[in-house]
Parts: sequence; C-alpha cells; structure tokens
Amino acid sequence: MGLRGYLLKRAFNTFILILFVITLNFAIFQLIPGTQGVIANLLQNPRLTDKSIIGRYENQFGLCASYDPATQHCVLATASQRFGKYFVNMLTFNFGVSYQSGHPILDDMIGTGRLYNTLLLLGVSTLFSLLIGIFIGVFVASRRGTAFDTGWVTTSLVTYSLPTFWMGLIFILVFAQDLHWFPPGGVTPFPTGAPLPPFLQQIPTRIAHLFLPALVLTLYFYGGHLLLTRATMLESLSEDYITTARAKGLSNTKVLFKHALKNASLPIVTNAALSFGGLLGGAIITETVFNWDGLGHWIFSAISYKDFPVMQAMFYIIALCVIVANFISDIFLGVIDPRIKYE
Amino acid sequence: MPFRLIRLKNFFLILVKNRLAFAGLILLLLFVFAAAAAPLLTSNYPTEKAGGKLAPPFWVSYIYGNARYSQNAQFGSLTTYTNTSSLGVSVQSTSLGPNDVNVTVRSVAGGTVIVGKTLDYSYSAPPSEMFGTLVVTPSSLSLGSSQPQVAVFFDRIGVREWGPLWNDTLKPGLTSQTTIRSTDPGLAARLGYQSGTDLGQIVFSAKGAYRYFVMINLPPGQFQASFLIKQFSMSLYGNTYGLMGTDFTGADIFSQFVYGTQLSLMVGLIATIIGIGVGLIIGLLAGFLGKMVDEVLMRFTDMMLVIPSLPLLIVLASVLGSSLWNIILILGFLGWMGFARLVRSQVLSLRERPFIEAAKASGAGTSYILARHIFPNIVGLTYVNLALSVPAAIVGEAALSFLGLGDQTAITWGKMLESARESFTGLAWWWIIPPGLGIAMLSLSFILIGYSLDELFNPRLRRRR
Repeated sequence: MGLRGYLLKRAFNTFILILFVITLNFAIFQLIPGTQGVIANLLQNPRLTDKSIIGRYENQFGLCASYDPATQHCVLATASQRFGKYFVNMLTFNFGVSYQSGHPILDDMIGTGRLYNTLLLLGVSTLFSLLIGIFIGVFVASRRGTAFDTGWVTTSLVTYSLPTFWMGLIFILVFAQDLHWFPPGGVTPFPTGAPLPPFLQQIPTRIAHLFLPALVLTLYFYGGHLLLTRATMLESLSEDYITTARAKGLSNTKVLFKHALKNASLPIVTNAALSFGGLLGGAIITETVFNWDGLGHWIFSAISYKDFPVMQAMFYIIALCVIVANFISDIFLGVIDPRIKYE
Repeated sequence: MPFRLIRLKNFFLILVKNRLAFAGLILLLLFVFAAAAAPLLTSNYPTEKAGGKLAPPFWVSYIYGNARYSQNAQFGSLTTYTNTSSLGVSVQSTSLGPNDVNVTVRSVAGGTVIVGKTLDYSYSAPPSEMFGTLVVTPSSLSLGSSQPQVAVFFDRIGVREWGPLWNDTLKPGLTSQTTIRSTDPGLAARLGYQSGTDLGQIVFSAKGAYRYFVMINLPPGQFQASFLIKQFSMSLYGNTYGLMGTDFTGADIFSQFVYGTQLSLMVGLIATIIGIGVGLIIGLLAGFLGKMVDEVLMRFTDMMLVIPSLPLLIVLASVLGSSLWNIILILGFLGWMGFARLVRSQVLSLRERPFIEAAKASGAGTSYILARHIFPNIVGLTYVNLALSVPAAIVGEAALSFLGLGDQTAITWGKMLESARESFTGLAWWWIIPPGLGIAMLSLSFILIGYSLDELFNPRLRRRR
C-alpha cells in the first residue's frame, strides 16, 4: 500500500475516532442526573413543546425533529433522530447556549477572547518547552554520564512529576505574594469595557501576567522533550555517520545539530504533537490556578455552575484537537519518513 | 520453608539491595505507617478546631524568635474559695470533672463565692483567639430579699482585673449560660475598650500568672443554695500550632495531612487495582483469542487512549457525581488502556512458545492455559504496572479535588490545596507545602519501587546502568 492508501486509512481512522468521541459525549451527557426526567417531562407535556421553552434544551438534547409551521410547536424527535441531530450539531460546531451567560457557546469561546488567551498561553509554553527541552537534551546527550547529564535528567524528572497545580501555587506564593515580582493571576489588569492603553504600553503588563502560568506549563513540559531528545540523540550519536562527520573535522556544534539532531528530530516532532492532550489537560489546571481567563478556566467555572453544554462542547473540542494533532503527526510521519511501512 | 515464602524473601532482599528501591520502600513504609497510625499520631479530627485561625507551625518561633508567637494554653484545674472579707459563709464543693463543680453555699449576711482557674501564661505574644463557656444552674435557693448575681472575670494576679465579661441574675431552676469569644466585638466594648478590639490581645499582653474566675454575689440575709457550674473553661488559641499549623478555620493541618495520606493511598491503590484488573482481562482476551476479538478490543483501547484523560475525568466526575468511590471507579476504569496493550503484546509472544503448544497438545482448555501458563508469566508485569500507575491515580484525584470535583466531605490532599486557594486569605505556605510534598513524595516512592521491579522482572533492562 502506498502513501495514498496510508493517508486514506489514517483519515478513516480519524473519522471513526471523531464518531466515537461524539457518541461517547452523547452517552455521557444522557447520564446527567435529571436529564432523563427533563426529556420525559418535555416529551409528555404537550404545552411544553412551545419553541421558546424547548429552545433551551434544543441544542443539548436535540428534542425536536422539526417545528410545525402553523403553530410553531415542536414535533418531537425519536432517540435515533436526537442522536442524528446531535451528531450534525457537533460536526457543525453548533453547541447551543451556555447556562452561565445565556450566549451561544461558540460566541463565548471566541468573542470573549478566551480562545485567544489559551492559544497565547499554550503557544508560548509549547515554544519554550520545545526549545529548552531540545537544546538541553542535545547538550546533555553529548556529555553523557557526566554530572551535567545526571543533574538535568533528575531535574527534568522532578519538574515533570510535580503536580502542575502545586507548582503554580508555590510560584504564586513565592513570586507574587512574597516577592511581588509578578501579579498573582489574571490575563490583564485592565477593566473590561474601559478603553485600553496603546498596544505598546500593554506589552510589559501582559508579559508580567503571562510569565508565571507560562513558566509552570514550560517547566511541566520541557522534561518530556528533554528526556526524549536525549534518548534519540544518544541513539543517533552512536551511528557511523557521526563518526564520519567527526573524522571529517566538523565542529562539535555542527555534528550535534546538523547531523545528529536532524536525524533524531522525527520522534521529537511526533511526540510534540502527541503530547498535545496532556498540554491541554495541564492548561485547564494552570489557567485555573492563575485565573487565566482561557478555555481551561472556563471549564473550571462550568464545573462549579454545572454548565453542562459548555463542558460538553469543551470536551468535544479538546478531544477533536488531540485527534487532529494525532492525524497531523501521522501525515507528517508518512510524508517525511521514507522508512515508515504503509501497512 | 514453603517455596512461595522463599521467593517472597528473595524478592525483598533484591529490592532492599537496590539503593533507589530501598529509598522508595522506606518512603512508602513511612506513608503507610502515617496512614495506619493516623489516630495515634494526632488527636484532632481533620475538621475539628484545634488552634488559632491560619496559625503557622510552632517551630517558626525557633526561626523568627519567641517574641511574636504564642501557643495554645488552657486554664487549669478548678478551685473554689470564698472571699476573705465574707464572714459567715460556708462553702462545700464537690468536683464533678475538670470543668464541672457543684457548690453548696450557706451564708448569714451575704458575701461572695469564687470558683476560679489559674494559668501560668508563658508566651510573650497574646493568643490569636480565646474561647470560653460557662453554664450555671442554681438549685434549692432559699430566697432572701434579692437574688444572687453571677459574673465572670479575668485577673492578671497582683496586677489588675478585667470584668465582668458577662453577668447575670440567677433564678431558681433557670440555667444561665454564656459563651465568651474574643472575636465578639461587643466584648471589648463592654469593658470600655474600643469596639472590635480583641480582648485577648489586651489581657494576655504579658507573661504572668492569670486567673479566670466566676464570682457569685450572695444576697444579704439568710441564704442557702447550691450552684451547679458546668463547662467552665477558657481556651486560648495561640498564633502558632502543632507541626504543620492550622487552616483558616483553625483545624490542624497535620491531622488533615495524615488522614489525607490514608485517602490518597486508598484512592491510588484501589483505582490502580481496578485498572490493572480490567487491563489484564482485556489484554489476555485480546492476546489469546486473537482475530476479531483482538481487533475490536484493541481498536477500542486505541480510541480510549487518544481521548484526553483529564477532560474526560472532569466530564465523568461532574456528570456521575463526585463521591470518593465514584472518583475511584472513574480513575480505575480510565486507567487500563496502556496495561491492556502491554499484556496483549506479552501474551502474543507467549502464545507461540513451545510449552503452550505442549499444554494444548495434552488437551488443556483455554481457561486452564490462561490461568496456569500465561498468567504466571505476566505477574511480574502486573506488579511493575501496579507501582507505576498509582502516582497517576493519586495525581488524578488531587487534580479533580483541586478543580472542586472532589468529594466535599473527604479531606484529601487535593482538597486541602483547593481550600488553601479558595480561602481568600492569601496563600499560607504551611497549608500548601505539606499536601503538595505528600503527593510528590508518595508518587516518587511508587515510581522508585516500580522502576526497580521493572529491572527485576525484565533482565534486559539491567544493562541500562
């Protein structure tokens, strides 16, 4: 089977996964205490089929198959129709209305800047954790067995295994509460609605607010990249072409980065895509600790408000992101690595 | 010695020889001891008020000096006496306990009876709170012209007196009672200080001998009565407390930590055992039965592996409810995928070995082969995975609790961190460091043991060092 077959198979698997996630999501949220009661109640009470009343539950449960054009009354859906409707809603990102705000969930997600905030935090911390992890991993591998090596391996294991929420609390305690170097949380100190200062003046404040949460996520994630880089680098450093390169008289840096790292980079990049799920999980916790008004913090507030549509949508979106990241890394592997077997 | 016992002994000997495994084992044993001996290690319950609010641990006084710190103190045993100026008063008192006394009084021309407790206050800083109670029930009052009065006072012996903190007229058969709290803003105002001042700060501003007493003024004339004085106590909560201080309600953090160890170990172990059980069954079935079963089970496993775990945990916990057992079950049933794959690959390779074929040839059934030949060969894997999966379950529970999805009645380490964050008092280091260190150390102990077990059962790994 060639590359096309491989990609088709991956795409098919991805589609099955999305189907699975939607089904799982539907099934889980049918289990909410009271849901079955609400549905039964709505199904039995003819007066409750009014569009305005049923509208609130419409997107969550997909109760109406259609509306009677004359009376605007709901023609109730069967269970399979409900699932079909839910499925279409999920595929078209129509998540319904948040219980907390009463706005459509997609508006709350994008219009309020939450998505942007999360992408900013995730982007910065992914970038730094990759850079730090790879650079230190390369140097550590080239000095295998020294105190430098063991020191960094131990440090990255420690930061990797410390719970993120605890790391965040300790950082707030030390750097915000005691030393006052950084604000203890929030995205910006600017009041909502008031005119913002010019963009250039915002930058230092924004960086100050971003620093601690990004530091926590970076510290949590560089360890994995470092250890993986070290392992793959050790492998490629023992190859013959490295000896050849050294024999040619190339500088150490050139050997490390141009020859060894280039060949060791595949698993690192794949792993970066695969660790996306963990990154999002870490972001939920970190955003909560630092009151960073992003998607993770939104999930936290949805938990306390029992805002099920938001939780449902966020779970779906996060799972979708992870699935897509997996798919991309599959494609990447398939296109880049000629050694991969298309079976 | 039976064979199994020898094996177990060797197993322990090998574990002890490995330095890291030994460290992990010691660490784990410490936690197990703390969990098992929790009621012996601390006399407080995790939610019971034990000291002043947000009091740091007692040993901060060794770091920052004694001047600013006090510890809990309590007024001692009861004594009953009459005022020296009261003539013709005879008092008989029967002690009913450390805080209870029955006083029978006979007087001809009035006088006072005093029941008091003393305390040698040895801290240079005042307590952060004080809390006292008193219940007085007079009986068989032979009424004179007026009724007896009761009042409560503080006295720094030989220096000055503060009071009355409370007073009341005693009526036959009616119980008079009071609760004295330093946080009561009216208390200081009643004594002429600015309202809202903490009376404890004023009274206990210096070291010295103190007395806390209830004074009963007898009416003039022939009088005979008995007074039942109960719950006569005064506790001073210091501004430091115990090994790990207190939380914002004054509950003992050491006790929360120790009982939290119990819960964490329980959550970690039970969830992991469930996960291992499910993984074992699915892996064995998929590996040994092969074909369609394998395909279906492994596709399902792959799908479960891709779904991000924390969001799924959050969704399930908030939908199914967050009792401790629910969380254990959810963590268990979401933690089997990796192990199932491991078991399957092991079974796939075992299945082709000659001894399995020999067993099949001699007519052994599927379940017999699974139980007698395959399972014993993956027991090692099971131990390793048990040790390595516990940390994930512990951290998972802590993360859920931290997000407010934990059992609200169970004080776990995650719950402690959540309350520390939500208390709006600023973060207190003595409240945050113990649970976090607990999570990290307990996880570390399991990881150390797990890696050494891995090397033990997987000889190929030994050349790593």
